[in-house]
Amino acid sequence: MQPTRLTPKLSPTLTIEDIVSRTADLPTLPAAALAVMRESESATGSAQSVGKYLAQDGALAARVLRLANSSYYGLSRSVLDVSEAVVVLGMRNVRNLAMVASTYPWMNKPLKGYALAPNEMWRHSFGVAVAASLTAEKSRKVSADEAFVAGLLHDLGKTAISVWLENKLPAMLRIAEKEGLPFDAVERKVLGYDHMEVGAHMAESWNLPQTLVDVMRYHHRPSELTPTNAMVDCVHIGDYLAGSMGFGLGGDGLGYQFDENALSRVGLGVDDLDSLADAFMVSYDQHERLFEETK
Amino acid sequence: MAVASNVLVGMAEIHVLKGSGGFSCLGLGSCIGLCMMDPTAQVAGMAHVMLPEAFADRAGEKPGKFADTAVPELLALLEKAGARPERLVCAIAGGAQVFKFGAEGTNRLEIGRRNAEAVLTHLKSRGYTPRGQEVGGSLGRTMTLVIETGIITVRTVTQGEKTLCNLRA
Repeated sequence: MQPTRLTPKLSPTLTIEDIVSRTADLPTLPAAALAVMRESESATGSAQSVGKYLAQDGALAARVLRLANSSYYGLSRSVLDVSEAVVVLGMRNVRNLAMVASTYPWMNKPLKGYALAPNEMWRHSFGVAVAASLTAEKSRKVSADEAFVAGLLHDLGKTAISVWLENKLPAMLRIAEKEGLPFDAVERKVLGYDHMEVGAHMAESWNLPQTLVDVMRYHHRPSELTPTNAMVDCVHIGDYLAGSMGFGLGGDGLGYQFDENALSRVGLGVDDLDSLADAFMVSYDQHERLFEETK
Repeated sequence: MAVASNVLVGMAEIHVLKGSGGFSCLGLGSCIGLCMMDPTAQVAGMAHVMLPEAFADRAGEKPGKFADTAVPELLALLEKAGARPERLVCAIAGGAQVFKFGAEGTNRLEIGRRNAEAVLTHLKSRGYTPRGQEVGGSLGRTMTLVIETGIITVRTVTQGEKTLCNLRA
């Protein structure tokens, strides 16, 4: 049954469950993409099993193949089926392609509640994926491939909460300015929760790995997670880098706090930020080529 | 009739035009959009500066990327196109940053503030003070210059577009 679409308005009694159950067009991840993600993380996962799950969704498999055959990878010959793509590109690469192919259709839509124009949510999410991946690579604390997926999904909650914030953004920004609050604090003040909590709720309902749930819930406040998690720290830093470089800034802009402790926990210092920002721009340009031919 | 072009100035890029047209820097976060114009010669340019200073070990990078190389490069390109240094007027926008870092305000984390300061320092050392500037805060900005009018506008997604200054006035 389709959820009932209510007139979006802020209500003190609107719970996270309400947000998730009553929002029309709530994003979903294809079952095959979730299966591929679980399989690629599993000790028993193999090229064959990942290929098998992916092949169960013809549309997703076709999109993954288009990405695999883009000039970004520069393969000497065309990859014709997903099992071959897994063998040639590797399980984790194909997992990431499946996530990109699954999220792009809904991440490129406008999010009016955050004043994000069409494609801007995608630019931000993809930018954070690239930046978190680079940060992970430099820190050597967590897998860069996994940081890519974590960065890609980190703001999932915004896609659900946005419609409920339409027309409320100016008032929320006034609160932020008047009371000197970061934007996520204003969300908590107005709604009782923030886009991080909503995203974590969605991630839990999708049975995503706990690390991804933690990324969604703590990416603006990484030191509040006990024990802290280097993946959350890398996404926090990636979010800062992509935002600072202007990627997908909505009405909330850069109105979030940066936690310097996240840097030290992954073995980086503030002096690394300029070179990371520079490397991010180079890497983003390269990654973007992956999509130019496949949109 | 030819339509005047509006050049999108991407990150680390510098563009110069003579006669007509204009420039835009889209989605400035902590980056700085720097416009300079000689109204008499009808020559104008824009740089999209990403970081305060060039890395010592990487000579030959795009000069527009860093404040310390972008300012002299923009000036050189403007002069080459016919601008006279003493007639140049300028404006800057951008330099946003994440929410407050702490009280001291000198943190290297503040890329936006450092970018703005670096661009202003390199302009000042050559005798230039911006006719208009809008820097800081947490909002992303789009900066546009139209050569025919000299008007520079700055737009944010929540505050709309406003005129920053007129480089011809």
